[in-house]
Amino acid sequence: MKSFRRTICLATLAAAALAIAPAALAQKTPPKTAPQEDIVLGGSIPLTGVFAFAGIGIDQGIKDYLTILNEGGGIKGRKVRYVPEDTGYKVDQSMAAFKKITSQNKVSLYYADSTAFVKTVNPELERNQNILMTGASFAKEISDAQKYPLQFMVGPNYSEMVGILLQYIAKTKPGAKVALVYSDTEFGRDPVDAARTEAKKLGLNLVSEIVTPPSSVDVSAEVIKLRRADPDYTIFHGYVSAPIPEFINQAKALNLKTAFMGTFWSMDNSTVMRMGANVDGFLGVMPYRYYYDTEGKAPMLERIRKMRPEYQSTGYMQGFLSAMLLTEAAKRTLDAGNELTGKNMKTALSSIRNFDTGGVIGVPLSIKGNSIPVGRIYRADFKQQKMVPASEWISLQ
Amino acid sequence: MNIDWWLLFEISLAGLGTGGLYALTGLAFVMIYKATRVVNIAIGEMLMISAYIFFAFSAGMGLPVWLAIPGALLVSGAFGALVERTMIRPMLGESPISSFMVTVGLSSILVGLVELIWTADQQRLPEFLPSKPIEIGEAFVSPKIFYGFWIAVLLIVVVLLVFRFWRGGVALRATASDQAAAYSMGINVPRVFSLAWVAAAMIAGVAGIVVGSIGGISSAMGVFGLSVLVVVIFGGLDSVLGALVGGILVGLVEALTGFYLGGEYKILATFSLLVLILMVRPYGLFGTHEIERL
Repeated sequence: MKSFRRTICLATLAAAALAIAPAALAQKTPPKTAPQEDIVLGGSIPLTGVFAFAGIGIDQGIKDYLTILNEGGGIKGRKVRYVPEDTGYKVDQSMAAFKKITSQNKVSLYYADSTAFVKTVNPELERNQNILMTGASFAKEISDAQKYPLQFMVGPNYSEMVGILLQYIAKTKPGAKVALVYSDTEFGRDPVDAARTEAKKLGLNLVSEIVTPPSSVDVSAEVIKLRRADPDYTIFHGYVSAPIPEFINQAKALNLKTAFMGTFWSMDNSTVMRMGANVDGFLGVMPYRYYYDTEGKAPMLERIRKMRPEYQSTGYMQGFLSAMLLTEAAKRTLDAGNELTGKNMKTALSSIRNFDTGGVIGVPLSIKGNSIPVGRIYRADFKQQKMVPASEWISLQ
Repeated sequence: MNIDWWLLFEISLAGLGTGGLYALTGLAFVMIYKATRVVNIAIGEMLMISAYIFFAFSAGMGLPVWLAIPGALLVSGAFGALVERTMIRPMLGESPISSFMVTVGLSSILVGLVELIWTADQQRLPEFLPSKPIEIGEAFVSPKIFYGFWIAVLLIVVVLLVFRFWRGGVALRATASDQAAAYSMGINVPRVFSLAWVAAAMIAGVAGIVVGSIGGISSAMGVFGLSVLVVVIFGGLDSVLGALVGGILVGLVEALTGFYLGGEYKILATFSLLVLILMVRPYGLFGTHEIERL
C-alpha cells in the first residue's frame, strides 16, 4: 500500500513536472515569431551587349547600396535581396528576366534596363500592382505619372536635361546661338520638341538641328552644316561616344568656336576622357556627383570610395541611387504600417522632401512627379583627366 | 534658285571620301565572290575584327603605328585563310545558301568574340592620320576622309594591276570564270580560294583601320557592311569596277541626302537606290548577267 501511494505521488510529481517544464522552458527561450520575409529587388540588368558599359556599374551600385543597407539592419529588420538577370540590353530578354524573377520571388522593387522594356512591361506592372520600378530610362514619356503610375526615374528626363543645359547657356551667354545634334533614334529624338520650346522661352536662338543615323561613321557633311550655322553651343544627345569625338575633332580643325555639350549617358568621366585631348572643355549635365568629388559633405561618396578604391562610373551612381530611393520608398511604406504594394510605395516615394542622399546628389532631394529635374553642369578638364563643376546645381522645379 | 556651288562641291567631296571607303570594303567583298561565289555577309565584321587587332597591337601592346598596321594586316590575312580553310572549303559543292548561312554565322561569332575580349564599349583608335585640315579653294575636306579616300584609291589600283598582270591574279580570274577549266589548266583552285580570302581579309583590314580611326570602334561597327552590301549589289557582285562606281555613288547620295534632307533620310536613300537598281538591273551596273535566286 505504501509503495502504491509512493508510486501515485511520483506519478503526480512527474505529471506536474511535465506540465510545468514547457512553461519554464518558455521563460528561458524567447517566444517564437514568423520569420521576417526578405524584400526582393529584381533587376533586368544589361551585363552584356552594347549597354554593358553602364550595366556593370549599375549592378555594382545596386549591390553596394544594399550591402550598406543590410549591414545596417535592412528595412525594419527585413533584408533586401537583390535578384538580377542579364538581358544583353534586349527587350525580349528583359521581359523574360522579369517573368522569371517575378515568378520565382515575391518582388516589390525592380530595376529596368531600357525605355523600350519600361514601356513594354508597364501593363504587366499595372496588373501586378505590387512592384515599384525605376531604371536606366530617362525618356520624357516615362515622366508622365498618369501613364506610368508605378514607375519613376532617378534624375531629370532627357528633355529636362537639355532644359538644364539651355538654362546654363541662357545665363552664361544670353541670346546665344545653339545647335542640337541628335541620333535618329527614339533616345535621340526625345528632347527635340522640348528644346525648341525651351530655347524660345529663354531667348536663345536654335540655329541648327542635325540628325545623324545611329551608326554614323563619317560626319563631314554634318560638320559642314554645323560650320555654316556657326553656333555658340552645340548639344549632343542620343549618343554615348561616337560620333561626338569626330565632330569635335573636325570642328576644332575648322577653328569652330562652338562649345560642345552632352547629356547623361555620354558624361561618364572615362567615356569623355577616351574621346581624346580635343575634348578639353566639353560641357554636360550630370544629375549626380562624380566618384572623386570631395567638395562639401558627402559621407555616402566617402563610403563608396572606401568600399571601392578605384573610380566608379556614373552608371554606378545611378544604380546606387536607384537602390537608395527604391528602398527608401519601401521603408516609408512599412513605417506608415502599410502593405508593400506598388501604389503605397509610389505614394511613399512622392512624400520624399529634402532627402539627404549623403552627397550622391549635391542638393537635398524632393520628389514630386516621376522625374527628379535636378542637375549640374560639369566641364572636362583633360589635363586633370576629370570632369569639374562648371555651375551650381540647377533645379527646374 | 541660287545654288551655292562651293557648298555643293564641299558636300560632294565629303561624299566621295566616304564612298572611297565603301568602294574599298566592296572590293574585299567582290574579291571573295568573284573567286569563290560565296556571298560574304560577314564583310563588315571582318573589317571590325581587323580594326580590333590593330587596336590590340597599338593601344594594348603599345606597338608603334608603322608596326601595328602591317602586324594587324598579317593577322587579318591569316584569319582570312583560317576562315576559308575551316568554314568555307568544307562547303564546296554545297548550295550557295549554305555558304551564305555560314558567313551569317561567322558575323555573329565575330561580334561575340569582340564583346568577349574587348567588351561592347566604344573605343578610340590611336590618331595616326594627319589632322591638318585640307582645303580645296573654299571647300573643306576632313583630313581623315581625304587620306582614307586616297588609301582606298591606291589599293583599288593595286588590286586592278594584280588582277591584270600577276600570275596569282590571273589564276583568280581564271577560277572565277570557269572552275573546271581552271582545274584542267593546272591551277590549284583551293589555293586560289585561300588566296582570295587572305587578300580580301587584308583589304577589309585596311578599310577597318581607316573606318575605325574616323568613327571609333565598337562591336556594332560591322553595320558599316550594310551600306557596302548595297554598294556591291549596285555595282555588280563580281565587278571590281562596279564596287568602285557603286561606292562613290552611294557615298555621294548619302552625303547629299544627309545635308539637304537630314540624316534620318540617309539610310532610306541608300536602300531606295538598292530597290531601284534591283528593279532595273538585278545583276548590278557592271555585274555578270546572271541571276542566282537563293
